[in-house]
Amino acid sequence: MAKELQLVVVTPETTLLDEPVSGLRFPLFDGQIGVLPGRAPLVGRLGCGELSVTTTAGPRSFFVDGGFVQITGATVTLLTARCVAAADIDRDAAAKGLKEAQARQAITDDAIEARFRDQERSRKMLALKK
Amino acid sequence: MAKARAIIKRLKAVKNIRKITRTMELIATARFKKAMDRATEAAAYTRKIAEIVADLSKADLSFSHPLLTQPAEQKKTVLLVMTSNRGLCGGYNAGVLRHVMPRLKESKANCEELTLEVAGKRGQAFLKFQGVEPDRFYGGFEDKPGFDEVDEIAQRYIDGFVKGEIHRVDVAYTEFLSSARQQAVLKTLLPLGKLDSDEGEDESSRAVDYEFLPSPEDILEEIVPAAFKAQLFKCFLDAAVSEQIARMVAMKGATENAGEMISTLSMQYNRARQSQITSELSEIIGGAAALE
Repeated sequence: MAKELQLVVVTPETTLLDEPVSGLRFPLFDGQIGVLPGRAPLVGRLGCGELSVTTTAGPRSFFVDGGFVQITGATVTLLTARCVAAADIDRDAAAKGLKEAQARQAITDDAIEARFRDQERSRKMLALKK
Repeated sequence: MAKARAIIKRLKAVKNIRKITRTMELIATARFKKAMDRATEAAAYTRKIAEIVADLSKADLSFSHPLLTQPAEQKKTVLLVMTSNRGLCGGYNAGVLRHVMPRLKESKANCEELTLEVAGKRGQAFLKFQGVEPDRFYGGFEDKPGFDEVDEIAQRYIDGFVKGEIHRVDVAYTEFLSSARQQAVLKTLLPLGKLDSDEGEDESSRAVDYEFLPSPEDILEEIVPAAFKAQLFKCFLDAAVSEQIARMVAMKGATENAGEMISTLSMQYNRARQSQITSELSEIIGGAAALE
């Protein structure tokens, strides 16, 4: 059985990560999922939140915002619209986003859902940036 | 003699122009390389999306999504024109705009409600000259279009299309085929024709039994907009790369022409100078002969 996974993180603009990892955790649409070497093939929808990676050099964490995951054999591919390293999160922008979302008037169901999503996203970003 | 002086003046001017065009060529080359790298990196995303779509289609799924279905009528259309902000790039803008005017005429003939959106100042200037007022203008796209900006536009189209406020989205841009060939095209992006690209894939390696979370249908619902966004983003990247290539080629031509002109002018100058000297000499000789 493979001892390592190859993690590939692709955003529309660039391939952000392409490196071997020993394990990773990321948010699916309905909660966290952990992946270790030898995982069965999977195609899934991502939620937004923390992607934490265990490498030989130590743990690293990123923020991912929606997208897809595809696991085949020893390769994990994350397709996401946005992915930033936890250290690079702009705290002020996230706080501003949260305030804006909280203050927004939402009348229709869709708007309420969108507002909730935006709030969650900002909260998760803030939580990740210690 | 006045003529020689005038030639020197022109020669200087042409030399200056050559310097400028040469520099512009070098800048365009550097920008083209950068834009090209971005486009290649972005291709990975599109390829992966196509891969997942291929996986989904193996799951015996009928593709039905609002973005894939052809609306019953085609009255409200959107035309997005991608031109450059700056000139001096040969036939780049003209090529794109050549597709736009017939499309505008056609839309008028069909009584469509066409929303015209233009990216790039050149396109705006051209349309203004033609007496057409664009409904929206984007001036912020230079040689590095960002996904966030494109995402905003794409989301607006998607929302409009799903609500039935938009029936069709066309894009006029320069498609990048290879670094030696770019082509101005008018392409219909919405409704999406088909999702999977024509890239041949070997069936044997793809026969993987996936676990789908939550379900193939839900993933499809998410991936179709993502595929559309990736396509629109690719259009912007293609346009940026093509623009730099067009400018590079145009400036290369300009530099060569300036070089040719310099050699003609310096030859003319040398002749003029020589004839001046000869006439002065003959005047002196003539004067001396008259004194004898």
